Amino acid sequence: MRWVVPEAEHMSEGTLGCQGCGGALSMRLVLKEVGRDAVGVIPACCWSIIDGPWPTHALDIPVLHTAFETAAVVATGVKAAKTIQGKDTTVIAWAGDGGTFDIGLQALSGAAERNEDILFVCYDNEAYMNTGIQRSSSTPTGTWTTTTPDQRPEARPKKDIMGIIAAHRIPYAATATAAYPEDLERKVKTAVETKGGMRFLHLLSVCPPGWKMEAHQAIEVMRRAVRSKVFPLYEVRNGREYTITHWPDELPVEEYFSMQGRFKTLLSDPEMLEVVRGNVEERWQILLGRHQRSHPEMAPTN
Amino acid sequence: MSERLLLTGNHAAAYGAMLARAEVISAYPITPQTMIVELLSEMTASGRLPAKFITVESEHSAMAACVGASAAGARTYTATSGQGLALMHEMLHWAVGARLPIVLTNVSRAMAPGWSIWSDQSDILSQRDVGWMMLFAESVQEAQDFILWTYRVAEQVFLPGMVGMDAFILSHTAEPLIVHDQEAVDAYLPKFDPLYDLDPAEPRAYGGLVNRDHYFEMRYKIYENMDRAGQLLVEAGEEFGEVLGHRYTPLEGFMLDDADYVIVSAGAMTSNIRQAVRDLREEGMKVGLLRVIAFRPFPVDEVRRILTGRTKVAVLDRNMSAGHSGIFAQEIRSAMLGQPDAPPIYGYVVGIGGRDVRVETGHQVLHDLLTREEPELALFVGLKGLPIGPVRKDFEIKPLAPLEVMQ
Amino acid sequence: MNGLGHVDDYPEIPVSLAPTSALLKTGAWRSVRPVVAKRTAPCTAGCPAAIDIPAYFDEIRRGELESALDRFLRRNPFPRITGRVCPHFCEQGCSLAVAADEEPVSIRSIERWLGDETADRPHVVEAEPTSKRIAIVGGGPAGMAASFYLRRSGHEVTLFERRDHAGGVMRYGIPEYRLPQEIVDHEVDRLAEMGVEIRTGVSLGDDFSLEDLEADYAAVFVATGAGKQRRSDIKGESLLEPGLPFLEAAKRGEGTALGDRCAVIGAGNTAMDVARTLRRLGAHVTVIYRRTKDEMTAIEEEYERALADRVKFEWLMSPREVKKARNELRLILDHMRLGEPDESGRPHPEPTGVSSELRFDSIFAAVGEIAEIGTFPERMRDDQGWVDVGADGSTRDPKVFAGGDLATGPATVVQAIAAGRAAAQAIDDQLGFSHLWPEEEPVDTVKPAEVNPTYMPHHDRADDHEVEVVTQFAEETATLSDAEAAEETDRCLSCGYCNNCGTCFVFCPDAAIIWEDGPRIDHEFCKGCGICVVECPGHAMVLVNEREVSNV
Repeated sequence: MRWVVPEAEHMSEGTLGCQGCGGALSMRLVLKEVGRDAVGVIPACCWSIIDGPWPTHALDIPVLHTAFETAAVVATGVKAAKTIQGKDTTVIAWAGDGGTFDIGLQALSGAAERNEDILFVCYDNEAYMNTGIQRSSSTPTGTWTTTTPDQRPEARPKKDIMGIIAAHRIPYAATATAAYPEDLERKVKTAVETKGGMRFLHLLSVCPPGWKMEAHQAIEVMRRAVRSKVFPLYEVRNGREYTITHWPDELPVEEYFSMQGRFKTLLSDPEMLEVVRGNVEERWQILLGRHQRSHPEMAPTN
Repeated sequence: MSERLLLTGNHAAAYGAMLARAEVISAYPITPQTMIVELLSEMTASGRLPAKFITVESEHSAMAACVGASAAGARTYTATSGQGLALMHEMLHWAVGARLPIVLTNVSRAMAPGWSIWSDQSDILSQRDVGWMMLFAESVQEAQDFILWTYRVAEQVFLPGMVGMDAFILSHTAEPLIVHDQEAVDAYLPKFDPLYDLDPAEPRAYGGLVNRDHYFEMRYKIYENMDRAGQLLVEAGEEFGEVLGHRYTPLEGFMLDDADYVIVSAGAMTSNIRQAVRDLREEGMKVGLLRVIAFRPFPVDEVRRILTGRTKVAVLDRNMSAGHSGIFAQEIRSAMLGQPDAPPIYGYVVGIGGRDVRVETGHQVLHDLLTREEPELALFVGLKGLPIGPVRKDFEIKPLAPLEVMQ
Repeated sequence: MNGLGHVDDYPEIPVSLAPTSALLKTGAWRSVRPVVAKRTAPCTAGCPAAIDIPAYFDEIRRGELESALDRFLRRNPFPRITGRVCPHFCEQGCSLAVAADEEPVSIRSIERWLGDETADRPHVVEAEPTSKRIAIVGGGPAGMAASFYLRRSGHEVTLFERRDHAGGVMRYGIPEYRLPQEIVDHEVDRLAEMGVEIRTGVSLGDDFSLEDLEADYAAVFVATGAGKQRRSDIKGESLLEPGLPFLEAAKRGEGTALGDRCAVIGAGNTAMDVARTLRRLGAHVTVIYRRTKDEMTAIEEEYERALADRVKFEWLMSPREVKKARNELRLILDHMRLGEPDESGRPHPEPTGVSSELRFDSIFAAVGEIAEIGTFPERMRDDQGWVDVGADGSTRDPKVFAGGDLATGPATVVQAIAAGRAAAQAIDDQLGFSHLWPEEEPVDTVKPAEVNPTYMPHHDRADDHEVEVVTQFAEETATLSDAEAAEETDRCLSCGYCNNCGTCFVFCPDAAIIWEDGPRIDHEFCKGCGICVVECPGHAMVLVNEREVSNV
């Protein structure tokens, strides 16, 4: 194999992910690097289903299913118990964007602020997919969902969860996506090894039914999100030190949007498209500035 | 060695958690419970209690942290009150479904709005049906001891339990407290042996999706175990006496033997009612007191045995379920329904929002009981301008009074 | 579920008892299934010898050079030669160019590297001796290739060559700076070492007839090439120097430019060779062609090299007449323009009515060659008088086969090799021994739109190095280093050939591709999302409709 991705498999076949599920793939890739000495905590999200109905389970690690808003704090509790018991088990909170950006934000912020020794992974498919595609605060501007219909697509920009997390000054946070598996595995490894404090991974995870697209394009669409700067790949250490880990090319954002039916209205609205393009570029420039301030010795290698 | 200290109910609860060797404690400050959290923070910070204390950002998270820790095999404890308990509600269910023997102390207070930090049973009784064991303490000593008693049973049936203690009347009132000898407590309450502990060597999923074919069976086991907890409470109460010097029972009677009239009470107000019963005995009324200690599991058989054949029963509720009656009264009525020789049950709602339930209040209720013919769902005691009586049927909603009235 | 008929069969809580794979056969969701499929790579499709390029590249990548060479030799015995002189049709179709706007993989350079790396390896006879004797007439690439394949198949092969040495155009036509003599020698030696009997200095027609050979041999393969200069309609043609004899003389070290100002008429590969050889002899050289650069038949690479050698080109000039005046030659040229396409598909040059005259010391003709077929009896000719040769080299005489330039007119070495191989196979088949010719089922060719160039390393194409020329005719390029070859091999998308890169495995959201040193698709669970198929760099997987798949 030519990929620097562990061969070991810690996700069973027969999961209930939809065809082309980015959430399932994200889990599979993350666990490859995390290994078996770990406990997962999963709040209400697609993975409540993907893991299989009782009596089945899809993972090689124990998983405690929990309430929607509690991933970070239940993981905190699990970690506390493991610590008291003298065990060095990695505890992973694994939540969707709802359980991270919205209902889970309070507990997440609490855990981050206390710098709990857990790894929080958000697999972000940018809406409430499990309930049938309703907007969340992760839904980007111009998106169709069942609660932001074509007549009134999402008006507000996606919540800057990484900015919020960085503001907590946790030791390690990073964005990643399964379309760049080696980048993802390296970040998982860094996160696992950064013991003693809170680690946060923000994984863009395609949802073919929710994004209204063909399942076989699942990887390509995530790749385009990165290439077009819609979802830049970077790391933040201690909330201050930014490092861009993959330099996007100049792929126009339309090349990303046009693969997805959820952006049909956006693509036919030049004004809104301009706003979105501006937002993407603005965020990129902010990130670039942070990267450059963090690495004055490095010229941008675009 | 046990020691005798003068402590408030809140501090007694903290001692209870310490004696239980709670391993993970997670709590959020709320009046009037905060002193529990403060003392436990000191105890864990000083190493006197080698537990992990998690200062979460809400009561919901406090219970969630306990769920996580308990699922991973730790003995866990938290304390809360009023709004906090209400916020925990979802996770209270979770603890039951996940069969986690978490113990919490609820310092019962009234629900907002308007804001009220004073004694009221509405908060705890609102959680009646979540599936937690519920015990009502009357004294500082019980505020400590019931924690141990609850753990003892909870960890056998894998169900959580809460100990109710009245705001201020118990929480902030200092009484002499026997802090038990730790070795004796350890003998009474051995190390927690969990059903599961999230061991990576056994990678299972806990509490995931369950379809209609299977849910009922596993939920039935909760009912069955709660039922078993009734008998275990009796046994563990007796063991408490053997090992730690005081026998506890789910129900406690006072002057019941020949009583035609029985007044039922729970929690700290029972102390004043006990005095009222003594007073009425001196007046010649054949009255006795039944204190409900275990509300869940509810000791139905014992209640029936005690109350059958009495002339009249008064039930005191420091709560009210609007649209029906006080909740203790409902429970007693429900237990007695259809029993041969069942007495009429008179429900009395008293002391809402921390209004004092004095010895005199007990006198009024018992006098009313003697003379009142029809048992009523709810008889309100101490409302301004109204005698003891049932809900009015002929009132009108008045327009708002002008502001100057307030001056 | 079995065993859950009573409440006591249940655990206290919903704790899992089995992996999802035990109970959820998600393969049932699928309407299409991915299948690892061997398909033809565009490079292979473009190669006259149909070499399985992705497959031997994969073996190179794994360090299995012997296997790579074996695979190569199944289609072409002379990687050291074609690795230098082949116009690499393969690279024209390379998916990288179309799909990723990248330079094609430097396939020929890898081929050359492989050939050089394995030059020490002797050829082996792989089959039991058949004691069938076969005569090969003509020691050029077609004859040598046929000799190799027939000898490998256990036959006794005698190669008849009219010159002193075998090699044909490779020895006498292609200039030394492109193909050093020693390389051709080495290949001839390897043939001799494997038992091919090489008789030189004997020629068909003069020393023996076709009938003589038919009497002594079980089969005869004639590949005497196309060495006869095509006549031009230029007035004063006798003043022109023929190109091929010049190149042959130069190869022997006897070439002379006959002056300082030289013209070369024609713009094919022979013309380029002549022009560049003349440059090396110190002359100033002008190539004259009646059409334009776009229509010339020389391969682009040779044209570029000629430009680099500072050869001048005069386009749209049609020589009408050569005249000798004092000690120089005057070439009268009609100026042309391009008209409608002719039967060759190229625009037909038409006179503009303007003409001019250029003066040279010598003028070389390289306007094409034709086959010499006088030795073939009438019975083997077609209506036009050409030898009637089938695609497999068969002729109207069942014992006689023919191929190479003799049959096709001037073509490339690789086409001659393919013809030699085809004839060898036909002969072997006819003699009843076909076991050494494993033929894959024909499969469809991967289309550029199907491949996924995302994951290949994006570094520059590695070409053979230009070397500082030490001597006049020394080889002008050097073979890639091992490291360069490795890097270049990595650029290959491996179209239509699973090289176990692992991309499908990495991206399967359902863990339904099991990695067993290569992918195994677990159809019990594969949901048919199709990610593996579209992400496969070389599209060596296809989606098959479930309704078309029986017995599952």
